[in-house]
Parts: sequence; structure tokens; C-alpha cells
Amino acid sequence: MTKPTLLITGASGAISRLVASAISSKYDLVGVDPRPLPSSSHFPGTFYVADYHSRKLDEVFKAHRYDLVLHLGRIRESQKYSPQYRFQMNVIGTQKLLDLCKRNGVKNLVVVSTYHVYGAHRLNALHMGEDAALRASHSFPELTDAVELDHAATTFMWKNRDIRTTVLRPVNIIGKHVRNAICTLLRSGVCPKIVGFDPLMQFIDEKDMARACILALEQTFPGVFNVAGEGVVAYSHAIRLAQAVSVPIPPFITSGVVRILEGLGHFGFPPYLMDYFKYPTIVNDDAFRKTFGYLPKVKTVQSLQNLGPLSERKYLTSSVTDETV
Amino acid sequence: MIDLKRLLMETDFDALKALLQKVEGFEPIEVPGLDEKINHLSLGVNSAGFDRWGMHPETLRKFAPILYWFYKNYFRVEVVGAGSLPQGRALFIGNHGGQLPLDAMMAGLAVFLESNPPRLARAMVERWIPTVPFVSGFFTRIGATIGDPMNCRELLMHEQSVLVFPEGVRGSGKLFKDRYVLQRFGTGFMRLALETKTPIVPVAIIGIEETYPSVYNFEKLAKLFSAPYFPVTPFFPLLGPFGMVPLPTKVFVRFGQALHFEGDANEPEDLIREKVSVVKERLAEEIKLGLDQRGENIFMGPKK
Repeated sequence: MTKPTLLITGASGAISRLVASAISSKYDLVGVDPRPLPSSSHFPGTFYVADYHSRKLDEVFKAHRYDLVLHLGRIRESQKYSPQYRFQMNVIGTQKLLDLCKRNGVKNLVVVSTYHVYGAHRLNALHMGEDAALRASHSFPELTDAVELDHAATTFMWKNRDIRTTVLRPVNIIGKHVRNAICTLLRSGVCPKIVGFDPLMQFIDEKDMARACILALEQTFPGVFNVAGEGVVAYSHAIRLAQAVSVPIPPFITSGVVRILEGLGHFGFPPYLMDYFKYPTIVNDDAFRKTFGYLPKVKTVQSLQNLGPLSERKYLTSSVTDETV
Repeated sequence: MIDLKRLLMETDFDALKALLQKVEGFEPIEVPGLDEKINHLSLGVNSAGFDRWGMHPETLRKFAPILYWFYKNYFRVEVVGAGSLPQGRALFIGNHGGQLPLDAMMAGLAVFLESNPPRLARAMVERWIPTVPFVSGFFTRIGATIGDPMNCRELLMHEQSVLVFPEGVRGSGKLFKDRYVLQRFGTGFMRLALETKTPIVPVAIIGIEETYPSVYNFEKLAKLFSAPYFPVTPFFPLLGPFGMVPLPTKVFVRFGQALHFEGDANEPEDLIREKVSVVKERLAEEIKLGLDQRGENIFMGPKK
């Protein structure tokens, strides 16, 4: 009996590599990413370098017939890429990927979105369910691509009921191998904190996130699901647990000022994520837990502390082969 | 540089307390049975010490003595009717007034200290609070939540008690001349009580409405600070920060008999409003009893 084939986008990323190494025995794996694989890392399957919105992605679909697709390849908010590029990759790229899934008879599709789509807003309820309004692009147009990606995936889900589509909206993913904005910030050892604001945050460990992806791939419950870790932590506590120091910045600082500081040198968080350090954006993951029988295994404290002491973090190895999910 | 880092990391309330203890004559305030009561709440905290709604028992443990000092020594709170509180979750409905949420703190403490078994009445706070520096974080740590119906429903569904002021900012911003006159009630709380079959307990809070005798609401300044109101009292803003000290009134917290309502949470608004007016009348009666109990002297209360 041949093994089912699984396509993973964003295959150079930490979560993809964790997922891949955990399930490589069960599936024929194909990875695709616009970035090459980190030099010290190995992908247990075929790996392609391709932009999601380019013709090359068609070739990836011609080369194999996929039963399952895990779309992890969202380019995260960072200063490295222009909003235009991110829109191309995240929105146009995702639309192209979804279209290819439809035309090539993919059976299960998992799209990983983000909790950022809800937007940090003072009117947010404390635990937002999946049907809460997506306010992200309200105050910061830089987050439009995240919201549009989410929209594209959910619309696809409703229109193409024969393809079992699950959209995951995870909270802040943290872990040794992850390099998103929040991890970089906590690892830097110096975290700006807006004076007087100490919002609650949620974190999910990279291993739990990988586990959540696998659950969503293997069980077939279409829908949109929030995915969270163990519970809530105040930002100041997270800073302390990560052995970092908080640097107070005045509350009246505008995103414009942060933008200028960011331009001058590295300044912690991206300006358009500023509101997430002001107002809590907390999601309710009860539905995911109930439907998929998911329970986070890594304690939030543990994963925050596991970012490791500063000196060791500078020489991060990218190998995840020794990790088990 | 390293020392600065250590200093920043170690600065917290404990350091301040240690410093205060060095000052001669400073006696740390003990809240009777605090640890036992907090442990009894069984909040289900996570590894970082937060419960599902961001309540942080350690913060409560640290700040309870300060709040208790206000409760015991400053406002000399007297509680009536705590013995007849219903078991399990309850929706506490109080009268709002006095510009700052001192009423929520005193009523919350009364529930925490006097009800048996101890429980936390989670206050639903104004929607503009998250924009106020320092306040919102602290309120969340000691158990308050933004007054969103979704939050209230979730709390009640998880067997938590909730404290609601249906007057909202219409109540907290009221002028001195309107004290203890109940303003228009919102109706959301009644729908939630019906939906979750939660008993309603009217709470009359006497004394707090006189702490800041507001004579005028400076709307233009309120707009400037994007606050719902800006009170002008005989002392504030005239005396600056000294004008912000609340008057040391004598406070009574009176719990009325629990009210049980039955019906459909999706009833038309006029039917819901009828039920709400029952609660409002009961609360007004309780306030009347409280005012009679207090007598003429708002600072000292009845003559012993």
C-alpha cells in the first residue's frame, strides 16, 4: 500500500520541520518554501524552493499527486518584507495554492492563519470565539494580508465542501526554533513595554502547535478553530519568565515614532503590532479542544523559560531532528 | 549596566514592602484568613499563576492588605445580609456612584470576606477602562473583566459570580444632588440571568456615592481625555492631587434577598424591562433601608 502524499508549505520554517520529522514515516512528504532550507537542517522528503504566487508552484503540483496539504507558509509580519510583497505571497499565493488544491483533487487541507486577524482592540471580549469580528486591518493596514488570507481560506472552505478544509488561528507561537516577531522580541533580552499597559497574552509552544497541525490533518473536522496553549499570561510576566528586561516606553508614543526608531535600529516589536502590547487579544480554543481532543502538553512557563539564556540563544542551531513532538 | 538590569528585574511590590517595614511604626496589615480564602476559590490557575480570565491570585494576595485597610479603617465597611447569600454563582446588582469604582472594590471585598464559602464577585468594568494606563491591568489581576455580555455569560457558565452595575457610567458619573437616585438600568444582565438561570442579588452600597461630591460634569475636558465624564468637586481639581482623596465616609454594604427569575432570554425588550424594574425596585428599597440605617452623619454613621 502506498503512503498518502502530504504537501507542506513554509517547509523551511520551524513548525513545518517539527511536523515533518514527526510524521515522516506515515506520509510521503513534499516541502515547498520560497526560502532555501537552513544549512544544518534536513527535510525528510522532496523539497522545492518556490514562491507561492509563481508558475513554479504549478510544477510542484504536476510532479506529485497530493492527498493532504498543510499550508503553513504565511510570511509573518516583519520589517524584512514590504507589505506589497507579503500581500503577493500571502494572499495571491494562498489563492493560487487553494485553486491548485481544488483542481488536483486534494482531500484534506489545513490552513494556518493567526489570532492577529481579530485585532487588538479595547472593545474585544476577553475570550473571542471563532465568530468574533476580524478587526485587525482597522487600525493597521499592514495586517490586511493576514485578514485576507484568512478570508480566502474560510471562503474556500464554504465553497468547496468536498475538500475538508480546516483553518487554524493559533496564538503567539514560541519555541527554540521559532523566529517570529514575539520570539525575536523575547529572546532579544530587552523588551519595550508601554507604561501602564500590561495586557494578557496567550502563547503556544512550537511542539504543541506541530501537534495541533497533525491533529487537524489526520482528523477531518472542517471549520475554523482557534488554537491556544495552556492559558493566559500578562506580558510583564512573560518578559520575566523569558529572563528579559522590560524597557518602559511612554503610553503616548505613536506608531509613527516606533516606526522611526525601528528604522534607526532594531526596536523590539513591529509598529503595527503595537496595539497587541496594549490591549489583550485573547481567544477561546474550547472548540478545538473539544472537536479534536487537543490538550496542550507544554506548560507556558516552561516554553517561555526554554527560550534559554541570552548567551546561548545567539548560537541557535536550526536542527530539529533531535526533537520529538 | 548589569546592576541596573538586576534592579529592574527585582523591583516589585515586595521590595517596597520591605522598605516600608524599615520605617518605624509601620505595621503590616493582616487580612484575616486571606490565604485560606484565596485557596478556597479554586481558580484553576495555569503554570504562570493566572486563571482563565487573567485573575492573578498572587496580585490579590499582595494588594489585599491595602484594599483591606480602606475597607476596615478608612470606610469602616459594615455588611448586612451576607448570611442569606445563595449558594453557587450569583449575579450581584449594585447601585453605582462616586466617580471612581470604589463601590465595586468595597462590594467585591465584602463578598470575598463575608460570604461563606468565600467567592469572587467579578466586577464588569466600563469599556473605556482598557484605555486608562495602569488601571486595566490591575483590575484584571484582581478579578475584574470588561463589561461585555460574552464575558459575563462565560463567567456565569463557569460557576463564577459577577458584580454588575446596570446604571453604567450614568451611575458612576452622577452628581452629588442625584446621589442614591437610580439612573436608567441596562437590560443585558437580565437576559444573561435568564439564559444561565442565575439568581440575582441586589446590593445596596451606601456611603461611596458621597466620596466625591461632584457638582459639575466638565464635558469638554472629559472629551479631551476621552473619558465618559470629568467630575468637578469642591476639592477637585482645585486642590490638585489632594482633591483626589475620597472623603472618609462610613460605608454600608447591604445584600438583599436573592431574586429568581424565569423566562426566555430572547423575550421582547418590554417584558425584560418589566423584570429589570422589579430588580430596580428591590435595590431602591434596600438603599432606603441602608440610608435609614446610616442616619444623618455620612462620616460617622449611626450613634452608638
